[in-house]
Amino acid sequence: MPNESPMNDPRNIWQNQPKEPFKMSVDEMRLKAHRFQMKARLTAATGITSALAVCIFFAWSFARTHEVLPRMGFGLISLCGIFMAFQTYKWVWPSNLPPDTPVSTSLEFYRSELERRRDFSRHIWRRTGLTYLFLGLAMVVVPALIEAFGAPRLLLNMVPFFLLLITWFVLFFRGKKRNQRKLQQEIDELRAFERDR
Amino acid sequence: MQSTSVGAESQNSLYEQVVDSYGPALDRLARAYELDADARRDLLQDIHLQLWRSFAYFDQRCSLRTWVYRVAHNVATKHVMRQRRIRDRLVNIENFDFLPGSDQAELAASQAEALGRLSMLIQRLKPLDRQIIVSYLEGMDASSIGEITGLSPANISMKVHRIKNILKRWFGEGGPNAE
Repeated sequence: MPNESPMNDPRNIWQNQPKEPFKMSVDEMRLKAHRFQMKARLTAATGITSALAVCIFFAWSFARTHEVLPRMGFGLISLCGIFMAFQTYKWVWPSNLPPDTPVSTSLEFYRSELERRRDFSRHIWRRTGLTYLFLGLAMVVVPALIEAFGAPRLLLNMVPFFLLLITWFVLFFRGKKRNQRKLQQEIDELRAFERDR
Repeated sequence: MQSTSVGAESQNSLYEQVVDSYGPALDRLARAYELDADARRDLLQDIHLQLWRSFAYFDQRCSLRTWVYRVAHNVATKHVMRQRRIRDRLVNIENFDFLPGSDQAELAASQAEALGRLSMLIQRLKPLDRQIIVSYLEGMDASSIGEITGLSPANISMKVHRIKNILKRWFGEGGPNAE
């Protein structure tokens, strides 16, 4: 009689699955919370240090370069490093648990997670400082490119780089648009659910 | 929402109470969100950690069970959302059209096989639907699931009906017969 078998009842199967023993004392939990906080801070500190290293490296290039436009480019990229360090601190540095976080229902929490991702994706250029980074790069690369017009061989060497750059741009924008559309669709569905509450 | 901070002693005793009452259920919940054993252990630790922290703000406006499941599901949802490659392949229960093969439709040969099949089904669902199916499998009724997820009882009933149909196809007629 297959219908009466406990192996045919999903609730039974689910509730009787083998347990993996897991037990932590309150003291262990406190220690774990402390370690968790320290680890999160270390991750954030690594990001900030890397961004500051970018800043220092390009500030050094800024000081060594004498042409006006590339110099401005290096300066801009260096400032981007500071901006990235600040953004990392703002978004990645661990904060204390907001009191109302666990109170929100799972639906609200899930929607807010989706909205957070959508907003980050929508403002990715501003949030990560990519606009200024590319502007700075352009200021460094364009003068070299203009110079290369006199030597077509040099220009030919640059073609793969620009082809890759264009491909990256196309794929990046298409992926971003598709991702945003999917996220928005899901957010709208969840809002419709919330209206029915 | 105004939260009341409880004392450290109360926070600790609440946590110990929850571990005793809901420990196995939290273990199963982690299994619904993570198949890999090592990653699951990390997830479970994270769930316990966030639960312990959250009890500092437990204001008894909802039952302890609802609170525990909300926090646990929220932590697990965040865990899924962080994994882009997995996240992008998930589907809603309404769009779940994967039918088991003829061999799968037969009675599972062992408990492990049946559990594996059930886990495979759950792992394909988006977080909200995953919360509903896990709550259903834990034996909760529509109003309890509604309290945890925030969905209306009508929506829950609709989704549970769909879940039951899918489970019926996967496990045969004897399965999801309880409300």
